Amino acid sequence: MEGKVLFVDDDPIVIKSCKYAMEDSGLDLTGVTSPVEALKLIGENDYDVVVTDIVMPEIDGFELIRRTKAMKPDIGIVVITGYSSQQNIRDAIEMGIIDYLAKPFTPNMLTEVMAKALTLAIRRKPVIKEKPLADELEAKMKSEDFLSVINKYRDVPGSLITVLEEAQALIGYLPPSVQKLIAKGMRIPVSEVYSVVSFYPYFTMKIRGRHNVKVCIGAACHTKGAPEIISNLKEGLKIADDTDGMITKDMRFSLETVRCLGACGFAPVVEIDHDTHGGVDPAKSMDLLKDYE
Amino acid sequence: MALTKALTLEDLSNIKEASLKKSRVKETPSDPENTERDSAVREDAQHTIHICGGPGCRARGSLKIKEALERELEGTATSLREVAGPQTEAESRAQASSIGDVSITLSGCNGFCNQGPVMTVDDVFYQSLKTGDVATVVGEHLVKGQPVERLMYKNEMEKTYIPGKPDIPFFALQKPRVLARRGLIDPDEIKEYLDFDGYQALAEVVAGKSAEDIISEIKASGLRGRGGGGFPAGIKWEICAREEARQKYIICNAGPVSRSIVENDPHSIIEGMAICAIATGATKGYIFVREPDSLLLIKRIRHTIEEAGSFGLIGNGILGKGYRFDLEISIGAGTFICGEETAMLSSIEGRRGFPSPKPPYPAVRGLWKKPTIVDNAETFANVPLIILNGAEWFRSVGTSKSPGTKIFTLTGEINTSGLIEVPMDITFKSVIDGIGGGMKKKKTFKALHIGGPTGGFIPGNMIWGPTDGTPAQADRPATQPDSTETQPDGIRATYEDITCAGATMGSGNLIVMDSNACMVNTAMFSMESASGESCGKCVPCRIGMKLMYEKLRKITEGYATASDLEVLEEMAGEVKRTSLCGFGQTAPLAVLTTLKYFRAEYEAHVNNKWCPAGKCKALSTFYIDEKVCTGCTSCARKCPQKAITGERKKPHAIDQSLCIQCRTCYETCTFGSIRIGPKAKDMFTPVHQQPMANKEDE
Repeated sequence: MEGKVLFVDDDPIVIKSCKYAMEDSGLDLTGVTSPVEALKLIGENDYDVVVTDIVMPEIDGFELIRRTKAMKPDIGIVVITGYSSQQNIRDAIEMGIIDYLAKPFTPNMLTEVMAKALTLAIRRKPVIKEKPLADELEAKMKSEDFLSVINKYRDVPGSLITVLEEAQALIGYLPPSVQKLIAKGMRIPVSEVYSVVSFYPYFTMKIRGRHNVKVCIGAACHTKGAPEIISNLKEGLKIADDTDGMITKDMRFSLETVRCLGACGFAPVVEIDHDTHGGVDPAKSMDLLKDYE
Repeated sequence: MALTKALTLEDLSNIKEASLKKSRVKETPSDPENTERDSAVREDAQHTIHICGGPGCRARGSLKIKEALERELEGTATSLREVAGPQTEAESRAQASSIGDVSITLSGCNGFCNQGPVMTVDDVFYQSLKTGDVATVVGEHLVKGQPVERLMYKNEMEKTYIPGKPDIPFFALQKPRVLARRGLIDPDEIKEYLDFDGYQALAEVVAGKSAEDIISEIKASGLRGRGGGGFPAGIKWEICAREEARQKYIICNAGPVSRSIVENDPHSIIEGMAICAIATGATKGYIFVREPDSLLLIKRIRHTIEEAGSFGLIGNGILGKGYRFDLEISIGAGTFICGEETAMLSSIEGRRGFPSPKPPYPAVRGLWKKPTIVDNAETFANVPLIILNGAEWFRSVGTSKSPGTKIFTLTGEINTSGLIEVPMDITFKSVIDGIGGGMKKKKTFKALHIGGPTGGFIPGNMIWGPTDGTPAQADRPATQPDSTETQPDGIRATYEDITCAGATMGSGNLIVMDSNACMVNTAMFSMESASGESCGKCVPCRIGMKLMYEKLRKITEGYATASDLEVLEEMAGEVKRTSLCGFGQTAPLAVLTTLKYFRAEYEAHVNNKWCPAGKCKALSTFYIDEKVCTGCTSCARKCPQKAITGERKKPHAIDQSLCIQCRTCYETCTFGSIRIGPKAKDMFTPVHQQPMANKEDE
């Protein structure tokens, strides 16, 4: 398992035993006895799951859940409770927790619930995992430039593609939150915005790296070794081919394929940002990236 | 000429007279396309240099050549400056930077991209330049007056160097009309266009041609839409002109196909659009660029529209008269389907690029439900030429059904590839042998792919004519009225010949394929792309392409049966017949034409589990013919897998368990001892047998 977990319980023995039970799981485990301290940690760190007791001094578990949800709505929450009354559990579930553990519980139960919570929490997390990036997105969405784009085209018929292009140029990509904002600003349904964004290959809902690498897979490039270029780049950049977009961990490079860049005479072609590299030797494709910091 | 604000008719006629005086007319003026003039070059400049600024040459470093040239000239300037006259402001405004008595212009694409970067110095054409060559050119050609032979085009057969551009086979067989100004003018400078008859056709129209006159002239010329469909432009205009509407639109598709014109001569498109607007009564136009990444293209179009506007050639009151035509650029967001006219309209309206059924045709009900003319940039660029020179002149090349010239891109296994404009009655034989310089060394022709992603494949006997006894025109219906014009030399670059052969003009891409290509594999790749590009609106295209791809994959992997071939053929026909738009109707041509002309290859795949070209890895083995192998060891040294072993001067052998079928040995062997055979039974690895057994159970 992989992930960051915070245990909150006023009883240090619970924390100690939980940590002991999960010792070999490979998880990053932290424990605090004070809910106030816990809230501070949640604000500063990027936890996937928070496991909390209900009855605690200072702030009770429900309050902790409420404040955590307000801060980080995507964190998965698991409740530990000694008083597993129906009402308590129902209240907690209504607040959006993933699961609960009734004391006393066995290490196996803990592992099971933890696995479930982590899977769910990681799945609902946005692609951007790092806080600075999320903040950056927020800041960009509130920026004057972005709002003025929307205002400029609000009543211009047929301007949606132009707005999306300019928005993408400003923000870098078009995640659902940006699409919602555009729909609201343009006074059109979100579905209409989504239908356009999802149709055109130029628009991306995934974040791109500082440098975007496009490999042409048109007919000419295909025969001249585009598939090898892609596999070499993936290997060299350690990018896994998953649904989260092909991007390196340090956000330096993102990798894309395009149907045809229209430079078939120089196949195979790789485009990095706006520089076109023709006649690429598939074996040396990683060398192209050297100059892009 | 002080041209700062809106031009009037008078200004244009002054420009015409002035440029006629200045020009050196080499041939009779009655044949305008052969009239060659020096471009807008300072009269005091002794040498004129045009460096190609097309994207191909740029990618190969033409801008660096220009810099190096300027630096080099700066160095030798002391001796040259004495002869030079003072530079005026107007001259320096043009991109032609002049150092000493040399004028350097960055021109549009020459089309000779294969040999880039290219440059003409006076009348001498230099190719494949490197920055290191600049000093030689300056030292030898400019200072001593000695053209540099080694940088010229070399005739490989006769081992001679050809200095003049018109004598190079690549250029000799072409007939540039739309691209007549290519390499001669700076596309970003309207004055250079004006000096070359620019906007004279528009002046003629504004001065007193009625809309009916324009339309009847275009109809008489027989100009067909160059976007691929080939619909007669005059008829389209007439339909649109007849419609009564408060607003009509003119849209130019400046997709990848016609970018050559935008890059070389963007004003000719605007002039054609303005004439079209006057003829049809439209007052608003868009130039549609599909790819937002085509930065150079977008920048140039923006600049051109601005320039034309500030010179009063578009906008309100064209040339001081009462016409109005507002022009804008509209930028799409990619996808091949947006080249289809109704899909393009959707994209301009800011929606998904879905095509819509026709009729109603856009000329009746187009953008925002108003009558709209959608044409390709090449079509519009032909319009001013027809207005200036007449329909008769336009028909002087080409056939009666396909008059005029057509731009093609030529690539593949030929010696010279590039961008060409040819009379439409040229045979593909002379395109390949003449302009393309024949097949590359050791390569034999197999098929010509016409029409880009949605095109078809034409076999050799139709290109080269009936060499093996089968008539090349066998598939031409006897009733074809044009059959009197048929030539025994194989098919020509006309709409009718290409359609008869089962392909389409499409985007005008020509790819010459050699015997190394497996047609089944190529068709499979076409279907893979097509299934990715299908917009998904209609079922035949969305599902049909995918299913055809699956069938073809089955064939290339060796577990297809004869019934699969039948289903494939039937399905391709159905998708073609029932798809909503031009994309779905033409994409199956790749399957239909390969099945028609290369059926034996399909049968070898299906019945013998053998890919004769050796491209389908599951169905081929590379082995060494012991009788032919001389034991030269060259293949063993090149093999990346070290799969080839053998003693010197003794026949070698390939270890099949190591071989990855990369073809390196096949390309390396000069004795032809590497053979491609079907997979022998015992060579089948369990991996291959597994899916075969499974699939047949299904």
